[in-house]
Parts: sequence; C-alpha cells; structure tokens
Amino acid sequence: MSRKKQISKFRYNIYAILSVVVFLILWQLIVSLGYGGIIPSPVVVFRTFLIKMTDSRPDGSTLPTNILVSLQVACTGLFLAIAIGVPLGWLMGWYKGIDRFVRPIFEFIRPIPPISWIPLTIIWFGIGLGAKSMIVFFASFVPCLINAYTGIKETNKTMINVARTFGASNFKVFTSVAIPSAMPLTFTGIRIALNSAWSTLVAAELLAANAGVGYMINMGRSFGRVDIILVGMVSIGIMGYIFSYVFKKIESVVVKWRTV
Amino acid sequence: MNNKNILIKQILYLVLPVISVLLLIVLWFFASSVNRVLVPTPGDVIDRFVKTFTNPINNQYIWGHIWASLRRVLIALFFSCSIGIPFGILIGWNKTAEATVGSLFELIRPIPPIAWLPLIVMLLGIGEIPKILIVFIGTFTPIVLNTATSIKLVDPLYLDVGKMFNANSMKLLFNIALPASMPAIFAGFRTATSGGLMVVMAAEMIGAQEGLGFIIQRGMDAFDVPLIMVGMVVIGLVGVFLAVVTNYLEKLVCHG
Repeated sequence: MSRKKQISKFRYNIYAILSVVVFLILWQLIVSLGYGGIIPSPVVVFRTFLIKMTDSRPDGSTLPTNILVSLQVACTGLFLAIAIGVPLGWLMGWYKGIDRFVRPIFEFIRPIPPISWIPLTIIWFGIGLGAKSMIVFFASFVPCLINAYTGIKETNKTMINVARTFGASNFKVFTSVAIPSAMPLTFTGIRIALNSAWSTLVAAELLAANAGVGYMINMGRSFGRVDIILVGMVSIGIMGYIFSYVFKKIESVVVKWRTV
Repeated sequence: MNNKNILIKQILYLVLPVISVLLLIVLWFFASSVNRVLVPTPGDVIDRFVKTFTNPINNQYIWGHIWASLRRVLIALFFSCSIGIPFGILIGWNKTAEATVGSLFELIRPIPPIAWLPLIVMLLGIGEIPKILIVFIGTFTPIVLNTATSIKLVDPLYLDVGKMFNANSMKLLFNIALPASMPAIFAGFRTATSGGLMVVMAAEMIGAQEGLGFIIQRGMDAFDVPLIMVGMVVIGLVGVFLAVVTNYLEKLVCHG
C-alpha cells in the first residue's frame, strides 16, 4: 500500500471513530437535557450492562447465562441445518434423481417464513431446547441447501470434462471437482443461514422461552426497563458480529483458493 | 441398450417427484391418525381454509388479513426503497459519507430487526406505525447494503471511459454506476421482500388485531392447529406472489 493510501485510510478510520463518538455524545446530551423520554442515556445502559454481568434480576438469569442459552440453541439448530442441508444440496445438484425426489417437498416448505413455524413447533414440542433449535433449523436449512445446490450447478463444465477425460468415475468427479468448486457458494449460504438463524432465534425467544437474550429483552419490556432492552439488543448485535467474524476466519482457512 | 437406459432414466425422473409427494401425504395422514388434534389431516386444513371465507376471524375474512399484512410490507418497502437507495448510493459513492454515516449504519446493522420489536412496542405501542417501522428496519438494511456494495464494485473501466468523455461526477453516477448496479439493487429488493414478510409475521404475532401473523397466533391461543397451518400456507403463497411480481418488475426495469 502506498503511503498516500495509508494516510487516507487512517483519515477515514478517524472519521469512523469520530462519528460514533459524536453519536454517543448526542444521545447522552438529548437524554441529559430531558428530551429522551423513556430512553436511558448510554452511560446508564453501560452501567446496566456491567450490573447484568453478575446480577440475575429482573429476568432470572445473568447476561452471560442468557447469552449461553441463546448460543446453545443457535448452534444446535445451525449445526443440524449445515449437516443436513449442505450435503443434500450437493447431492441434489449432482444427482438428478435425488433432485427430482426432494424438490417437491422442498419447494413446498421453502416459501413459508421460518418465524411462522414457531406456534406449530411450540404446540408440537414445547418450548425446550429441541423446539427452539428446530425453528432455527428451519431458518438456516433453506439458504444452506440452495447455495450448496447452486454451487454444484455452477461448476465449470470444462473442469468436469477434463476429469472425465482422465477417466474419473462420476462419484470421483462429484467429490474431487464439483464439491470443491461449490465451496465458496456453500459458505455464502452458511453465512446467510447464520444471520437468519440468529434473528429467528430472537423471535422464538420473544414468543416462548424462559431464558435467553430474546427472553431478557421481552422481560425488559414487561418490567418497563428500557435499559435492559438496550443491553439485550447490543449484546445480540455484538454476538452476531462475533459470529460472522469467526465464520469469516473459518471460511478463509477452508476456502483458501477463493480470490474475492 | 443405451437408448433403453435413457428411457428408464426419463421414466424414473417423471415418477420420483410423484413418489415423494405421495410419501409426504402418506406420512402426513399417518401422523394425523396418531393424533388428529395436533396434526390435522390435509382435508381438515382445506376445510378450515374454506371456512375463513365465510366465518370471519376477529371481524375480518381471510382477504382482510392478507391485505393487512401485505399493506404493512408494501408501505415499509416503499419507504425503505425511497430512503435506502439514495442512502446506499451516498455511502457507496462518497468515501467520507461511508466513513461517517456508513460506520454508524454498520454499528447498528448486526442487531436483527426483530430485536427492535420490544423497544419499538414500548416507545410507540402496538398500532399500525410501529409495525410498519419494524418492517422498515428489516427491509432497509438489505436495500442499503446491496446498493452501496454494487455502486462500489462498478467496473472501473466503465467509469474511466466516462471520464475520458469528460462526464462529470453526477453523470458518472446516474448514467454509468447506477444502471450498472440495477441488478444488484433488485437482488437487495428481493431479499428485503422475503425479510419483510418474516418481520411482519413476528410483529403481528406479538401484538395485532389483523394480519396473517395474527391468524397464526390466534390459532395457537385457541389451539386451532388447522388455522395455524392455513396461516402458514397463505403466507407462503403471498411470498411466492411477491417473488413473481418482483421478477416481473426486474425484467421490466433491467431489460426493457
């Protein structure tokens, strides 16, 4: 990177930090001057955040416990969706018979927004870990499958033909050519799944739960504690951010050849 | 020999979807035979659906509820397009804007729209405006993101050609960058549409008097499982309908 570019990058970073600081100061000012209504100041939110680390009031669990509960549900559902959706998508992309068999069922389920599964899952399975993981599963399964499928379909025909010319069996071409070339798109699918899993989980916890960050937010509403709501929202945001950051790292290790 | 193989394959491809649908129906009927209250038969669901046309739910026929949800999504989409596209262009085109307002946007973006629900309900109640606002938050993000990214990724070659012909900055933006980003903006619109449907469901489940999310929630409260399924199928159909309309619009704008 040239020196000039470095300087301009530095300048934009300063801008970014400054604008966040200005935003926080404005927020504090508006509240201090009494125009905030029921919105607490950022200082109060931060203090609640610190208190909530060890205090289980008012919703019954500390913030770390709530986060762990949410994480457990999200990871279970997401893991299942990846473990089933990705291989199924690959197989559907390569073997037409499987595609023909699975597609009608899939196309029937696909347009239903995952959130609308919540009441049915509650009636069928209650509000435990299994039920909520299933809602997360519904939210993340579709993007995993679609992207894995598209990845296989978009494999360069020349590469497939080269492998065939060298005598590779159909299955060998599938595992050694098609799947690796489908990897980048597959990962995009998992990344989309990650986002949708996280936001669906919040909805599930708002509607039915006894712990978790979404539940904490909802309790904040019941008790009229806007600071708790804001702490919950910020924690959800931070967790989502960490999630996608960690995932990006995994992606860059697994998909080394990706240039974009 | 080879021809015969191909013929068998063709027949198999025709038969397999039929088998899978039949299998699904058989499984469904089997589950219903175990517990018909928890898993109503497809027939029960269809009966319930027909009844929604004659027996109003909370003084509304099914059309009223469909329109209630659709209206919220469409109004929110209108606002997120008219604010989100210019905003996306701004942070995609101008580096300073990207560093300032763009970073604030990036800061708030990881919070899922549904997590805004309790706060907005507390501040504004459960009327019409808070619902539209939540859907707006959900649809705004994908539109801004796609617009900004595609404006940033416009092939520099196109812009250089424009500069060679002495186009000014405004011309470069409106005659080159924006048309080139149209497909990506539409992709954002499509994501926003399905995301908006999802958020509107959540908002209506938490507190509403009409809409498809309300129907599903009512089905749960009244332990009316067929009604829940009716709501799910109808919202799915609405999603398909919106996707078709979006595809048609895209063809009209991008290729016509």
